[in-house]
Order: sequence, then structure tokens, then C-alpha cells
Amino acid sequence: MSLPHPQLDRDGRLQHFLDMDGLSRETLTEILDTAETLAPVGERRVRTVPLLRGRTVANLFFENSTRTRTAFELAAKRLSADVLNIDLVSSSTAKGESLLDTLRVLEALQADMFVVRHPQSGAARFIARHAAPSVAVINGGDGQHAHPTQGLLDVFTIRRHKPDFTQLVVVLIGDIVHSRVARSDLAALSILGAAEIRVVGPRTLVPADVTALGGRFMPNLDEALVGADVIMGLRLQRERMQGAAVPSSGEFFRHYGLTRERLSLAKPDAIVMHPGPTNRGVEIAGDVADGPQSVILEQVTAGLAVRMAVMSMVLGNRAASNAA
Amino acid sequence: MSATAQRLILRNVIDGLTTGPDGGQASIDPAGAPVELLIDRDAPPRQLAGSGIDPTDLPSIDGGGGLALPGFTDLYARLREPGPSRRGTLATECRAALAAGFTRVCAAPDTEPAIDSTATVELVLRHAAAAQAARVLPIAALTVGLRGEALAELATLQRAGCIAAGHADVALGDTRLLHDAMAYAASFDIPLILRAQDARLGTQGCAHAGPVATRLGLRAIPIAAETIALARLIELMHETGARVHVSRLSSARAVAQLAEARAAGLPITADVGIAHLYFTEHDLDGFDARFASAVPFRAASDRQALRRGVAHGTIDAICSDHAPLDADALLAPFPQVEPGLATLDAFLPMLLGLPAVAEVPLERAVQAVTTTPARVLGIGVPNDDVVLVAPDRAMDPDRRFSAGANGAVADPALTGAVTGVLIGGEWISLDNDCAPR
Repeated sequence: MSLPHPQLDRDGRLQHFLDMDGLSRETLTEILDTAETLAPVGERRVRTVPLLRGRTVANLFFENSTRTRTAFELAAKRLSADVLNIDLVSSSTAKGESLLDTLRVLEALQADMFVVRHPQSGAARFIARHAAPSVAVINGGDGQHAHPTQGLLDVFTIRRHKPDFTQLVVVLIGDIVHSRVARSDLAALSILGAAEIRVVGPRTLVPADVTALGGRFMPNLDEALVGADVIMGLRLQRERMQGAAVPSSGEFFRHYGLTRERLSLAKPDAIVMHPGPTNRGVEIAGDVADGPQSVILEQVTAGLAVRMAVMSMVLGNRAASNAA
Repeated sequence: MSATAQRLILRNVIDGLTTGPDGGQASIDPAGAPVELLIDRDAPPRQLAGSGIDPTDLPSIDGGGGLALPGFTDLYARLREPGPSRRGTLATECRAALAAGFTRVCAAPDTEPAIDSTATVELVLRHAAAAQAARVLPIAALTVGLRGEALAELATLQRAGCIAAGHADVALGDTRLLHDAMAYAASFDIPLILRAQDARLGTQGCAHAGPVATRLGLRAIPIAAETIALARLIELMHETGARVHVSRLSSARAVAQLAEARAAGLPITADVGIAHLYFTEHDLDGFDARFASAVPFRAASDRQALRRGVAHGTIDAICSDHAPLDADALLAPFPQVEPGLATLDAFLPMLLGLPAVAEVPLERAVQAVTTTPARVLGIGVPNDDVVLVAPDRAMDPDRRFSAGANGAVADPALTGAVTGVLIGGEWISLDNDCAPR
């Protein structure tokens, strides 16, 4: 009885990019391969390609975010698109204009693509369902539901270091319950066939049925790290450290913080990841974040190539469907 | 014809009306032979054959071979008036109730303003009477404005026409206040229709705490939010002697709790919304706003326990939990959608579908909307309230009475339509094929 997913057309091609639902290993691999071909653009003297020349990308941010917005903006500019940054946190929606009215106005400005960040789970899919058919929607993070470009850039980074997902033991640490990043990472890793995804954190931050996300709960970080290939910290929001979820940042760090000593339990060539911004001394020790096994800044750079790939593929698919 | 007759003959109907020897519903055979029924305001319906009554001078209605059932009583529906008319009015929703087979509807108190004053009760009763459809039995708001701070004038509201008191979907956090409210209601023998809902646990949530909410990143409503509150109601019933009817259960654990309390001799009763006998958490997957509900749709095992509870009578009644909304109310991301399904237009097909879908015998399903809800309210079923049903008629998506744009999505294979209703001896046809003579 459930509604059809708006992101795939009848031939299974991406029309929007909203979450990992229904995506095949082939589709994810195609996006990652495209991202690999686009990655060198950033290393050239002229850092643009004309794939989206004449197209308009509107960044609709209903929630504050400098990092994600900047990454999308730069990715769009490297594809030669025109970019509108629209801050909707302090704008008309805050004054009571409905989300749909806001969309209509922006459609009237003839944007080809909306990159949406919204505090409510399901907002990206809602916008994709209700936006004009000519507009492609990319989810830049919706509530606690999904942050699929982050999920992609994480598996992109992993693949560069560990090409065979079927051999991987991945450990996710910390706040899974409230994390759209964790949900997208778990989904992407599951689709790509990761051998084992271990999830570690206090029960207040790990859903009781984390198996629904493809993860296996482990209460003890030291045990979870044994044999790990990839270790991902997740951001612990400040408000969670003050309520009943976690008594204090200090106690969290003592039990779940990634230290050099703990890292030595993992495989020697294990990589350390974090979606940022990191809370040093809470989720991760400074020397681990800056250490030789950390790929945290590579993740940021990968975000550009991955977002360029997603934007160009979605608009390319649409151009192909229109031509057909 | 719109005459009100003291006695009349209902011809050419399948008998789902005459009560069995145990006072319960006699076995209903929708494929049985049509009979003639004598409807008498002052006596229970009986078959004309063998009654010794001479029908010559009595008015008669041709039932067209339909199934005759007692008038239904709905223990919980939101009729939206007073309040914004775009969601429905007493005129539209009472008509929808009648077309679902309800001759009486308990109106939820969460109107705007809430049903907490004599003036509002009078307005509701006046507009309901003008609608010439289902009768409205208002539920009084237990506290002023449903704010959970001060008791409403319950005895005055009862005198003004309220059948019961309740707190709608607003959780009462203050156990002291709830205790006093129950004790006070008991002083006047006012039945309470209350949801089991903890005031802190899950009130931020919009979906059952299960795999779907986990995947979609929706704030969850755990089962304990219901069972903790139900335990509190049970304990306070022991303390206060209040009559409590638990409105709209959602979980298997709550059904077990209810059975246990009842086995211990507590006169507690309960109902379930019709939609909760059909849908589960999986129906809202993909952020389907049509399944946003104040009482969450839970796991398939919970739905199974609710179905069994109805079949075995642990759950006494089935209500509509009708919640009409305008189309705009659904146009928001899932957590911001107003919860609720407009169930009345699909209610009868869903009720008649219970034997096949939920293994609830037809007699029991009918009882759960007729004699048991009446008993919960301490009233009988009027002898001259009769619903005439065409059980096999395909659903017509255009046959809509409710103003709600959020009609419950019923399986199109379900069948059944109300073709006419005798309410207080007055015949209201809902179908031109089956007009009275």
C-alpha cells in the first residue's frame, strides 16, 4: 500500500537523490565511478567542467549548515551551474509561509535543481513529491532520516582505501538514533555488501532494533574494534550531552571515545573517519583525528566529487528522459 | 416518505436484528432468506411471521433484500464543530456517520473551543439536530480547555447532554488531577472515555517505536507509553471506583493488561479504532502521510492481538476514531502532518471485511458497534434504530460524505454500503435503488 518512491523512474534511473532506498549496488557503484572521473577536476588549474552550464541549482537550507551548503555550492560551481543560496531559516517559512508556497516561488525562478536541507525527517521526499516535475531534488540532510551524499562520500573514501566491501568490518560509534549520517552510511554499506557493520554506543543512542538498519549492536567498544577495517565516529550534539542520553561528555569519552590506545585494537591499516565537525575529546582524541590513520579531511574533499557526480547524473538522466 | 412511525414493517430484509437467546447477537447469515420484521418503538424487533400481528394497517418499507442491523453507536469520532469548517461540520460528519451505519456518535471534546461549557454543548446538540442525521452524544472535556489544569463542570455538562467525559488525545500528566477527576466523575456516575497515553514518553513521537520509525528517522512512540498509562488508569479505578472505558488501544501488551484487569474483576472496558484492525507501521513506510495517526499503527503482532481481542470480546467495541482533515493539513513533512484518518466513508466495508480479513465473526463485529458500545455508555440500542446494508455492493470512491480529504485507504476488494437508516422510526434513504414505498 505504500507510495512509490519518487527518486527512481520506471527504468530505475535516478530522477532525484533522496536516500538509499531502492538503490542497487550497480547504481551506487556507477555514482562512485563517476565521482572518480570527476575528482581530478579539483586538482586542475581550471577547476570547472561545463556539465551543468546554463543550469540553475538552488540551495534551499531550512536548517543552518555552513559545511554542507558550501560543499554543494562548490560542487555545482565546478559543474559550471549557476547557484542560488537561499537561507530559509530566517526567511519566509519562519514567518508562517507554508513549505509548498515557498517551493512555488522558487520554481518560478526557474531553478533546475533544489538541494534541500530540512530539520524534519521525510522533508526531502515530501518536496520531491510536490515540486514541479521539471525540478530535481537532492537531499542535503532531512531530520534524522537521511544524508545520502554524506553516505556516498563515506563509501567513496572507504573504497579508495579498501576496494573490496565484502571483506570489510566497519565500526560506527556513538549517536545512531539521532543521526541521518549513520542511517545513510548503514544503508550504503549494506547495499555495497559490507561483511559486518558493528554499532557501538549507549542504549540511549542506539535504536533497539538497529538490525533494521543493517547494523549489529555491540556494547563494548574495545571488543568491537578488534579486527576493524573502518572506524567511524559520529557527531554527538551538545544537547545530548546534557540530558538523559549521556550524563557528560567526559563519561562518553571514557567509554566511547576513540583514543590511540583503543585504535591499536583495530587492524593496523584501519582508517578513521568522522563526518565532522568533530568534538575533540568527546568522540575522538585530537591525536587520532590528526593521526596517520585519519581520513577525515579526505572525506571533505571526496564530498565535492561525489556531489558533482550526483548532480550531473540526476540532471543528465532527466535530459535523457526528456530527449527520449 | 419521511414519517415517524410507532410501529412499522421492514419487508424483504435479511434478519441481522432479532437478538439471540443469550441476549447477544443471533447468528447472522447474509445469504439467508429475506423475512419481514416488525419494528416497534416499545419492543425489540421481531419477525412478523408467528408474531400474531396483523400488518395490514402498518406502514412498511421495502428493504430490497438488504441486511438489517441494529443502529450503530460510535464511541469516538471527531466531528470538528465548533472549529474550522474546512475540516468538516456537524452537518457533513453526522451525515457521514449515518452513511456508515451510526445512528449515534460520541463526539470528541477536542473541538475549538473544547466541549467544556454548557454553551458549547448546546451549540453542538442544536447543530447536530439540524443535520437530521446521526444523533450526537457529546463527550465533555474532563478539564477546562483540555489544558489539564482544572476540572470542567462535569455534572453541569452531563445535565446539558454530555454522555461521558474524556481528554481526547491530550495526555494528562498530573496523576493527582486524574485521580480527582476520576473520583469526581464517579460521584455523578459519569463514564470516562480515556486514552492510555503517558504524558512524557512518546508525546514528541509520530510513529510506533519499531523498525519503520528507526529506518525513517521518525521520533518514536514506545508501547510503554500506552501500558504505563493503562496501569495508572487501572490503579486509579481501584482507588476511585470510576467507570473507565479505554479509548483506542494500540498494542498487544495493552490487550493482555486489559484481560488481566478484567479477570481480576475490574469493570474496565475498551475499544479499538477500525483502522487499527487493518493497518500497521509498514503502511506509513515511505513517509505516507495518509497513515499519520495520533494512536500509532504498530507491529503486525499488535494488530493481530487487537483482532483477537475483538474476536474474543476482550476489546468490547470498535470505534471509528474518525479524524477528518482538509487537504492542506497533509501537505507537510511527515512529522509535521496533522495526524488522523477520516474513516467513516470506509467504515462499513472495513467492518464487514473483519470476518475474512481479521477472523472476527460477523456477529461479534456487529455487536462491537451496537450492543457493547451502548452498554459501555449505560444506554440501550433504540428498538427503532435500524441500519439497512447491501453487504456485497462494491465500494464507490465517489460516494463520500465526510468533508475529510484524508479518507482511510481501504482495500478496494472490500464491499458493503448502507442503503438506508431507520432512526427513531424515521426512514432516511441513502440509496435511490432502495427507496421506501
